[in-house]
Amino acid sequence: MKFYVRRITFYLVTLWAAISLNFFIPKLMPGNPADIFRENLLRQGGEITPAMEQTIQLLFGSPDDSLWEQYTRYWSNLLQWDLGVSTTKYPTPVTELLAEALPWTLVLVGTATVIAFVLGVGLGAWAGWKRGTWVDSLIPGSALLQSIPYFWLALVLVAVFSVNLGWFPIIGGYSAREFRAGPEMSWAFVSNAAFHAILPAATIVISSVGGWLIGMRNMMVATLSEDYVTTAEAKGLKPSRVFLTYATRNASLPSLAGFTITLGFVVAGSIVMEQVFSYPGIGKLMITAVTQKDFALMQGVFLVITLTVLAANFVMDIFYGLIDPRARQNV
Amino acid sequence: MFRTTRKRMLPVVALTASIAMLAAACSDSTDPKDNPKPGGSAAPTSDGPAEKVDRPLVVFAGSQSPITPNFNPYAPTVLHGALGPIYETLFHYNKTKAVDPEPMLGESFEFNEDGTELTIKLRAGVKWNDGKDFTADDVVFSFTNVAKAAYIESAEAVDATTVKLKFNAPSFTNEWAVLGASFMVPKHVFGEFTSLDKLVAFANDKAPVGTGPFVLEAATSASYTLKANPNYWQEGKPALQEVQYLAIDGNSSAQAMMQAGEIDYMSLFVPNPESITGTGDVAMVNTPMDPTVLYTCANADLGCKGAQTDVAVRNALSLALDRATINEKAFVGLAGTISPTFALLGRDDKWIADGMPKEIAQQANVAEAEKVLTDAGYAKGSDGIFAKDGQKVSMTLKVISDWSDYVSATELIASQAKAAGIEVKVETTDWDGFSNARLSGDYELIIGGMVGTSLADPFQLYRDWFTGDYTQKVGTNLEPGEWNMTRYSNKIVDEAIQTAAGTRDEAVKKEAYGKVQAEIVRDLPYIPLIINATQSFFNTVDYSNWPTEDNMFAFPSSWGSVSSGIVLGNVQGPKK
Repeated sequence: MKFYVRRITFYLVTLWAAISLNFFIPKLMPGNPADIFRENLLRQGGEITPAMEQTIQLLFGSPDDSLWEQYTRYWSNLLQWDLGVSTTKYPTPVTELLAEALPWTLVLVGTATVIAFVLGVGLGAWAGWKRGTWVDSLIPGSALLQSIPYFWLALVLVAVFSVNLGWFPIIGGYSAREFRAGPEMSWAFVSNAAFHAILPAATIVISSVGGWLIGMRNMMVATLSEDYVTTAEAKGLKPSRVFLTYATRNASLPSLAGFTITLGFVVAGSIVMEQVFSYPGIGKLMITAVTQKDFALMQGVFLVITLTVLAANFVMDIFYGLIDPRARQNV
Repeated sequence: MFRTTRKRMLPVVALTASIAMLAAACSDSTDPKDNPKPGGSAAPTSDGPAEKVDRPLVVFAGSQSPITPNFNPYAPTVLHGALGPIYETLFHYNKTKAVDPEPMLGESFEFNEDGTELTIKLRAGVKWNDGKDFTADDVVFSFTNVAKAAYIESAEAVDATTVKLKFNAPSFTNEWAVLGASFMVPKHVFGEFTSLDKLVAFANDKAPVGTGPFVLEAATSASYTLKANPNYWQEGKPALQEVQYLAIDGNSSAQAMMQAGEIDYMSLFVPNPESITGTGDVAMVNTPMDPTVLYTCANADLGCKGAQTDVAVRNALSLALDRATINEKAFVGLAGTISPTFALLGRDDKWIADGMPKEIAQQANVAEAEKVLTDAGYAKGSDGIFAKDGQKVSMTLKVISDWSDYVSATELIASQAKAAGIEVKVETTDWDGFSNARLSGDYELIIGGMVGTSLADPFQLYRDWFTGDYTQKVGTNLEPGEWNMTRYSNKIVDEAIQTAAGTRDEAVKKEAYGKVQAEIVRDLPYIPLIINATQSFFNTVDYSNWPTEDNMFAFPSSWGSVSSGIVLGNVQGPKK
């Protein structure tokens, strides 16, 4: 019991610290948001009409309250789940932007991460089992895949499959032309969105499968040299049983731990992928917020990421405590 | 041993080969001939132009995802489709040509003698898209609501189609802001907002009520669609039934979509425009507007430090530049030629005083540059760099690291300057560093842009960028609306601008501009480089009546406020 109390207290303190940092760090960033907003408007192709010039001042006017007052107000708003209003996407509340972006990121990055994990661990286990044969040639190949720069891979996929071959759409989470009124609950929309997700998902899977594969394969090789595996083989157990129940099960533990943490980061989206494919997810919001000094949006995005990463760690901690008594004693 | 190694190498070789093939395929895409023709049935993408007939005209105007539907012309985050296509101004000022303003919701206007009163005749019979009449009261409201400009004293409706504006000072110079950039809004919609912050918070995203050729059909985070206003006041316009604006992140995606025929109209810097126009299905026009210059912190009296505070150094540096090479290598030959008077060549020619150089020299003149420095008492040191009183002619040139065209331009400038015995040290910075430096004046040289004027008159550029009233001491940030980054301050310029502001007499104005030009051409607080390209691309297969070089009826940019409404109102199509 003491273990759990201690863990929960630890996480509450971390949560407080993370949220406070989340408030202060953006305030410390240099630069003038109004100026950046104006210049961005001009560079993105836009004209500042005289009426807008006035209202930009109003929107970005620096708050007169002290930092402490802002901090306490930030907390009280936060507890009412009020994250403020975005300046770059004015006048949309940050919560609305997050609610709209989260499902896209969760479904796409989540699914792709699971696929990459299952594929990587499966292939890795098999490659470890068949060590010393031709299957080993998977290793350099996957190492190479893993080292391909992410954005480059995305750009190449777009250039080849979308622009040259025309098999897949170039951008977007769905066809804006066919669904002009936005997302709807219909089979046509879901299949359209799934079709649009293929290339982005492929980018994530291709660039992350290698890591899982190599990790799993190495663990597998180590596990296979354990005495209990030799014993199982000597007992004359079926190879499939040795492979699954003895070797894979034990070798996959570290990968599973890593997987939980990765899942925590899924909400952060995949910044580069979302940028290249104009995918309407959280990573895209994060870039916009950081480059344009949209404090409210930045705090909102970081808050969501912090919360999920902490939650994933927490679940992992509790889970480990359950399955491994040593974890409970050593804390 | 050998066998295993070879076996292990195999997949690597295979992968490398396939990546090389991918790369080759990718570079092929820049060759237009290898692309399926836009509109061809060969490209079965879901966004593909299979359904030709009833598709909307697709525009990219720079919106990034997610789009926040905002059609309030007073909001800074207002979408491009609101300014022109939905809301209109009284007159249209074509900033590409020296022509009279074209009547829109207003028919004619007249200033009084001293410029403190403006009488505007309105078009009769115009209706808002909700069916209500557009009245003189709406115009009065548009000028006197909570977002009223400071220079407007009052506005009154003289009769049903006449409005008289009173200003608190002579206001000839606000002509464009009042007539060409103030959007007319309906009192029955915007009248309920009693303070500016309430007005700004209004997203107006359900059914914006304007007078323009289009009305809102649907808006999402990925796109928004406008449809034709059946009761538009211009007979027979618009021909387009629907216009869809897309959100796209990244210029390369937009370029690829234009190539694939998925965008019909966009304005974007494309260094290799042949990749899009090569098939003959897409036309491009280039309308250079905004100058790129070297800001120099020029005024030692206001606290500027460095070699560039000496006018001889600025002149020598300007003479040392080979602008033709800079345009060719850094701006892929698409930039326009700049005038040292900062009047836009071709449009503002009549404002260039006699005896003033029209175009700035395109080739370097090293001998002349060295002579200027020698005459000013500088002598070449052993390192080949000029110096005076132990001070080397050495300056730091700041450039934003993300702006690759500017970065390559600075490298060329540094080597060209060196050939003339001037040391220019390039220092890359991020946006914040750039912004802080130019606002506070804490810099020696910066490569940056200037905002070209919105009508055929360089007045606003002279006043906002060159006069002493629009600057601050070094260390004090410029106020919003002040653009004189160089801290340049010259009594003659200030007085001439005062004179020009108080008159509509062209001869008086031209004389005043002549005085300004003589000063700034000699003093060079901004060293002119080029005029930035503004490229616009149009699908000419399915749509016609786009602006062309010969018929530039409006500024052709897809993001142009007011002008994009004129362009879209004129375009014909799609062809069946």
